[in-house]
Amino acid sequence: MAVAPGWYLLLSAAVFCIGLFGVLVRRNALIFLMSVELMINAANINLVAFSLVYGNITGQTFVLFLTALAAAEVAVGVGIILVVNRNFDSIDITDAVTMRW
Amino acid sequence: MVGLTPLSAGFSLPFVPGIGGVEVTVLFPLVTFLLILAFGRYLPFKGAYLGIVSTGVGFLVAVATVIQLATGAGIRHETLHTLVAGVEGAGVTLTFGVLIDPLSALMLTIVGLISLLVHVFSLGYMNAEGEIDLPRYYAALSLFTFSMMAFVISDNLLMSFVFFELVGLCSYLLIGFWYRKPGPASAAKKAFLVTRFGDYFFLIGVVAVLGTFGTAQFAGTESFVTMAETALESGDASGINTFGFGAQTWFTVIGLLVLGGAVGKSAQFPLHTWLPDAMEGPTPVSALIHAATMVAAGVYLIARMYGFYALSPTALSVIALVGGFTAFFAATMALVKQELKQVLAYSTISQYGYMMLALGGGGYLAAVFHLTTHAIFKALLFLGAGAIIISMHHEENMWEMGGLKDELRTTYLAFLAGSLALAGIFPFAGFWSKDEVLYETLIHALGGGSPVLFVAYALGLLAVIMTAFYTFRMVLLTFHGEPRTDAAEDPHAVSLSMKVPLVVLGVLSVVAGLLNMAVLKSVLPKDALLLERWLNGETVGGEFAEGALTAEHYHHVLTSEYGAGYTAGYGGLGEGTLALVGGVVALVLAVIPALVAWRLYGGADPDPHMTNLGSLRTLLMNNYYQDEYQVWLARGVTLPVATLANKFDQGLLDGIVDGSGGVSLFAGGRFQRLQSGVVTTYVALLALGLLVLLLVFAVTGGWL
Repeated sequence: MAVAPGWYLLLSAAVFCIGLFGVLVRRNALIFLMSVELMINAANINLVAFSLVYGNITGQTFVLFLTALAAAEVAVGVGIILVVNRNFDSIDITDAVTMRW
Repeated sequence: MVGLTPLSAGFSLPFVPGIGGVEVTVLFPLVTFLLILAFGRYLPFKGAYLGIVSTGVGFLVAVATVIQLATGAGIRHETLHTLVAGVEGAGVTLTFGVLIDPLSALMLTIVGLISLLVHVFSLGYMNAEGEIDLPRYYAALSLFTFSMMAFVISDNLLMSFVFFELVGLCSYLLIGFWYRKPGPASAAKKAFLVTRFGDYFFLIGVVAVLGTFGTAQFAGTESFVTMAETALESGDASGINTFGFGAQTWFTVIGLLVLGGAVGKSAQFPLHTWLPDAMEGPTPVSALIHAATMVAAGVYLIARMYGFYALSPTALSVIALVGGFTAFFAATMALVKQELKQVLAYSTISQYGYMMLALGGGGYLAAVFHLTTHAIFKALLFLGAGAIIISMHHEENMWEMGGLKDELRTTYLAFLAGSLALAGIFPFAGFWSKDEVLYETLIHALGGGSPVLFVAYALGLLAVIMTAFYTFRMVLLTFHGEPRTDAAEDPHAVSLSMKVPLVVLGVLSVVAGLLNMAVLKSVLPKDALLLERWLNGETVGGEFAEGALTAEHYHHVLTSEYGAGYTAGYGGLGEGTLALVGGVVALVLAVIPALVAWRLYGGADPDPHMTNLGSLRTLLMNNYYQDEYQVWLARGVTLPVATLANKFDQGLLDGIVDGSGGVSLFAGGRFQRLQSGVVTTYVALLALGLLVLLLVFAVTGGWL
């Protein structure tokens, strides 16, 4: 009993919107990073779903790459957050604005 | 042994077969210029000797060239360097080359001779007077000689233009030699600017010639002169681009444009105003400028491309009228001048007017003849004036002189010879040439030419009367009567270096007329007209005749249907008789005013009769307010127009450019506020953008 593709898309859109909401309203850099992860995973859900629907393995392969990418991104992101913390004594992303014009 | 290298190189030249390599004449002054520029301070007499040696060798080479041409060597016409090569008759060909034919060889000799004598004279005038900065003086003199010589041997109009400009630059450098004084500095600027104004038209003319014919060559079957002639003769102008005009109309336009340059350089009305001011320069420079180089360049240019002018009766009429009027106009101003050099300056303008009159009147030979004799006697007069000024402790006012003839015997005799030549008294050089000028104009006027020729001829005759008067007034005031000041009582002796050039030129002033005694053509054998044979190319090979540069050919074009259509008329007297009558009339017209001058100024203590002229004198002393009106033109017309143009440029054109920059800067300043540095804002903007994009897709895609 296969699930209709529309449900996958709905789930994906929901996860993406949660991520977007987090990015827009939270100021804690770690939460911010997690929200970004949510958005990446929303994309992953789409890829896996379509891969299943079309019977094509390519989408699933891309998900593997994206997972690796997300891991790397977290490593870099956490590194940046550590430096921000060292310089601003907080990880509030609205504090680190000294590099604007 | 400075200057040994050019000397040895020069002596080897006459052994070169043919007349190959004559252009090295030109290189001597150029090398000298560089040497004096670099080492002038260490050279003996600050470079004077080097200059004398190099111009001397140059003169000798020029003489050797003349001899070779006279003994049957062919002309030399060779392209030395091609700047731009046109393809298959299309496009424009720009070259540098040499053209040594009877005309340029003659002019080369004149330039060499006058330049040499001016260098020698400068030893006495500049060195002996302890002038400073002499290397600059001699370097500029050499550059001047170089430019003029290179101009003379140019084989195309573009090259002529280049050296024409260089001549103008040199005159600027030399007139402004004493640049620390305000007078010379401003005179130099004026000479440069006024002649530049004429050169502007010349430049357009050069471009027009190149655009029309694709070549600017003077000589050969592919020259623009020949192409123009062929086009008119065959009535088929298909090979050339006349920009939609009739061929002859367009040639007239081109001719008048090039004439602009000649009017500026040869100081013809209305661009003559720079020349009297140029007297601020050292006197030997005045001699060089007015006799052989700068001022002669304009007339030489017209003579060089006379085959082209002979095609256009309108252009010739304009030249004749400008020349005749200038001859008359300048002579009237010379009547009342008090400074010796001013009289000579206006007489120079007047004499060049005669040459223009001759060219316009169809007398190519006469013009070249007068150019030659004038170079000799005017150089003599200026150098003589220089000697007088030195002996008078730099006094130029003739009323401060008087009675110098006993103290300055040599100068007096030489100056008198030059004056008699200038006044046109038989048998001095000026008589023959000036008479030929008038004669040629008269016969072409009588032959049914335009009435303008009659007017120009009448003006020329009036100028003869005035020339004789002001010349003798000058001589009498300077040399005769009783000394009027202490300086005139006890003048400096004139040094040998000044006497030698005076004597050489004095002798030449007496005998130069023998070149072409056309007045006596009814009694003389045909062979006696040496200059006519020379310019007809009777001594050089057949290549010359093909080059269409002979005086005979010019005459042929001048009298042909397709050309100017001049015909010679003799008023029922016959050629020889009319020449004789013309000569006698001119002589009488010269002698009577000379006697009047003697009567008025010949006494022991002459009165300043010119005060009797009243308001006319004021007008003449102020040069017909020519300077004032030109200054008014500059201040009253050009300056407001230029100011307006500047406003337009600064306001509108720059405004647009500056405005676009300003708007960008302002907009950038506002937009940068978006860059808050808060990542959340960026994300919000991104999301908003995505939403907008979705909306757009929704609307255009038809979902909503």
